[in-house]
Amino acid sequence: MIKALPTVLATLLAHYRRHPGQLAMLLLGLWVASALWSGIQAINATARDSYARADAMFDTQLDQLERRDGAPLTRADYHALRQAGLPVSPMLEGEVVTQDGTRLTLIGIDPLTLANNNPLAQADSSGSLTDFMTAPWQTRAAPDALTATTTLANGKALPPLVLAPAIPPDTLIMDIAAAARLLQSGEEITRLVAAPGALAEAPAGFTLTRATRIATPGQLTESFHLNLTALGLLAWVVGLFIVQAALGLALEQRLGMLRTLRVLGVSGRSLVLALSVELLLLGLIGAAAGIASGVWLARLLLPDVAATLGSLYGAGVGRELNLPWHYWVGGLAVSLGGLLLAGGGVLWRAARLNTLELGQMQAWRSGYRRQLMLMSIGGAFVAGVALALYGWLRFQPPGDGLVAGFALVAALLLASALWLPPLLALVLKVLTHLARRRPLVHWALADMQLQLPKISLAMMALLIALATNLGVGSMVGGFRLTFLEWLDQRLVAPLYLNAPAEQYTDIDAWLADHPDVSERLLTRRSEAILESIITPKGSRALGTPIELYGITPGESLTPHWPLLATQQDRDTAWADFSHGAAFVNEQLATAENLSPGDQLNLRAPGVSETLTIAATYPDYGNPSGQVLMASPQLAARFNAPPSSMGVVLHLNADVDALREALTERFGLGSDALSDQREIKRIATEIFERTFTITRALNVLTLAVAALALLASLLAQARSRRQQLAPLWALGVPRAQLAQLSLVQLGGAALVTGLLALPLGIAITWSLVAIINVAAFGWRLPLHLFPWEMAVTLATAVAVALLSAALPALRFWRASPRTLLAEEANQ
Amino acid sequence: MLELQQVHKTYTTPQGPLKVLDDVSLRLAPGQSLALMGESGSGKSTLLHLAAGLDLPDQGSITLAGQNVSTLAESDRAKLRREKLGLVFQQFHLVPSLTVIDNLRLQARLANRDDTDWTAYLIARLGLEGLEKRYPEQLSGGQQQRLAIGRALAPRPPLLLADEPTGNLDETTAGEVLELLLSLVRETQCALLVVTHSPQVAAPLDRCLRLRHGQLINTEL
Repeated sequence: MIKALPTVLATLLAHYRRHPGQLAMLLLGLWVASALWSGIQAINATARDSYARADAMFDTQLDQLERRDGAPLTRADYHALRQAGLPVSPMLEGEVVTQDGTRLTLIGIDPLTLANNNPLAQADSSGSLTDFMTAPWQTRAAPDALTATTTLANGKALPPLVLAPAIPPDTLIMDIAAAARLLQSGEEITRLVAAPGALAEAPAGFTLTRATRIATPGQLTESFHLNLTALGLLAWVVGLFIVQAALGLALEQRLGMLRTLRVLGVSGRSLVLALSVELLLLGLIGAAAGIASGVWLARLLLPDVAATLGSLYGAGVGRELNLPWHYWVGGLAVSLGGLLLAGGGVLWRAARLNTLELGQMQAWRSGYRRQLMLMSIGGAFVAGVALALYGWLRFQPPGDGLVAGFALVAALLLASALWLPPLLALVLKVLTHLARRRPLVHWALADMQLQLPKISLAMMALLIALATNLGVGSMVGGFRLTFLEWLDQRLVAPLYLNAPAEQYTDIDAWLADHPDVSERLLTRRSEAILESIITPKGSRALGTPIELYGITPGESLTPHWPLLATQQDRDTAWADFSHGAAFVNEQLATAENLSPGDQLNLRAPGVSETLTIAATYPDYGNPSGQVLMASPQLAARFNAPPSSMGVVLHLNADVDALREALTERFGLGSDALSDQREIKRIATEIFERTFTITRALNVLTLAVAALALLASLLAQARSRRQQLAPLWALGVPRAQLAQLSLVQLGGAALVTGLLALPLGIAITWSLVAIINVAAFGWRLPLHLFPWEMAVTLATAVAVALLSAALPALRFWRASPRTLLAEEANQ
Repeated sequence: MLELQQVHKTYTTPQGPLKVLDDVSLRLAPGQSLALMGESGSGKSTLLHLAAGLDLPDQGSITLAGQNVSTLAESDRAKLRREKLGLVFQQFHLVPSLTVIDNLRLQARLANRDDTDWTAYLIARLGLEGLEKRYPEQLSGGQQQRLAIGRALAPRPPLLLADEPTGNLDETTAGEVLELLLSLVRETQCALLVVTHSPQVAAPLDRCLRLRHGQLINTEL
């Protein structure tokens, strides 16, 4: 029978020659599923490659020293420490712009003092150490950072380029002397580093950050990439809905052909083999097109994603895609696996159908009632899984269960999608019963029941897309509201000052006498070791470093500063705070399960303090735990240097005049004073950019669902005309029949949209209460937006009407002769 | 060529078991033609399906071209159909996505017996010249049935089974199609079993049998 396989295959494929729309729909589904998935995976793969290179090179491999007074590090610091016998090494970091406008990070190192096992210190490229350290020096760079020109925008030339593939993207490495010359850094250096564990403790006047405490870009961005992967998976699933709808339809329309082939002597096994080969061929075409488009899409989105990751997490991601071999194999496997998943059911059903009944449509449809039953049972089972996951998550430690949270969302979506067709069937059955005295409406409802098997998959895809859109949209909207409100509460002063630590005393005194200034909000920062915590359940040893942040409570800040929980009430909490109690941010409270009333034992060089927690507060965007104290308390108990100052002015005071006076009086740099509005603008911009890709993928998913519906309707347009033609022959005007088609589908979409509302709210809740807490350590308040819900409903109906419009228009414009022919065919 | 011995077939229905064929035996020699007549529901089509190996009897044996169909695996029955049988249906069952010429050659290709000269001859004999590139839906009913006959005879099978081959055609067209069918059967010297309820179709054949309530009630008319 293998010899006959080409003939069987050609016969099967001939169907698509007559129905190119179905082939297009099938390939479209495969293409979309594969493109969005592989595009996102290309971004993830490139980002992970960048993180891996950065991890291997920088922060995570080295302990770092900073001055306790916050002043910049200088060569003098380095020399003093080396003279004291400490094994530290200097690093210089800055940005250079080449003549073609490319911005690159320039890192200067001293290979002789850098730890020997650090990749930076190893002559990773072809050049020798002498060439690296002596004029004309060398510039080491990875291939993706090699620029067309080695001349900088300021006219200076880079030392000769040497290829070093292990160096992170957009980064140049050279000897510190050459870097200092290019960056014109004078005496300043950026970092003092040491091999992990080489320093037993921080030298006097410095703080030491251990390599293990520095979160890697990979760790910081894990949830961001998981979010992207989840959206990619969603698009993949929606794409597969199209594939399955197309395959099911193509098989249904070829049942006669299949029967004929069986009768002509093609065995069932051979037929399934031929259908499998057909699937494989189409799958390869769709996957290849999808992966190519995915790579293109990734190239398009990568700059935005890289900018987001850079601004949010400080993670450098290359501008060029860097795809390992397993990306291509994985992309192909996921596409073909998805096709097998979508087509497996079709093959199974084709193999099981009775030869003698193959040609009868009823044989195919008679199974639909059973399918509805199976969908209801399957939906109930998946809902049970969702409930079990929810129950399990409730007993997990706070902050755990990110993957389980996404699984819960997936289970909710799947359960609702499985319940949608039985729900639609039930609604139609009830309405058909109610409308039995109105023949045309009765017919329309009965006809809709017949259409349901063909459009249910597309409706399921629409439901998933709508609910995700609403869920993610509400989460982002709620986040925006909360974030902007939080910014307003935090940034109460119109002017913020960042000056060298030693200048604050003089500035504070000067501002205290200034008539325009009503309040000075000095902040301080320090670090300590959180030795242990004492709760009503007992004491727990920790020994983890923690950031201490000092603020100045006062009439500008205190009334607006948001608190999540207090021991008694707000006023008491602030009173306790001013007298030495601490607040902890939500991240720390969640991670260590802390509540107001618990106590913290903190240790810093020469200091050991016990603080009572008076309240917890939200701290959006901060990846770490933080202890908040009154600024004077932090200075007195932990010797913390000032870090910034908010200047609150009287009404109608001249901000610009004060800024000018401050700059002139204290010789401040141009970036020492920041306008509150500017800070808010930048923060908001970063926020908006963070969700650009989320929104883009959301809209794409909805567009794919709309395409699925349109493709389903177009594919069955001919058979629909055959069903409508008799009614036309009986005297129902074409325009009325076309309108009926629109109403039928619009109604089904409305029911789908109504089901999407509670599902979308459930998704929003899962995102803000489970996934966000697990990913970032803080919970967002649940905001619901009636306007968004109305838009979701309108979108559902609009998508359905748009999809139904083309087939309806075709019917309306069909000539009477065509309709008569359709009727005769009936 | 075809022999049925004491064949029984019962279907399960919601109303209980329905006996469709009850102890049916018949024999068809090579080159012979036989009409099988009976009312609707008498079991004619079931007998044809069993003879073609599309279904299996509950009891009894069916021998086709020397092979016992009842004992063959599904794939062997398919092979037997492909190589030894031609089938013509009342509803034509042409492949709508294949052109006339591709439909005609389909079974011959499946059986690895595609013969260009024979195909060209058939096209001419079937009166389908000039229509080779058309699709079945662009043909008249008579043309479609002629094409179905041509497809069945393209691999030159030793046995042709026809189920109401003119049942879907008007009287004039039915006469023309029947004449063509018999003429081609004579040319190819294949055996012919026709299921029909039309005496006009049965009349020109060598023998005629009648089925009633699943039983052959008389052997020769």
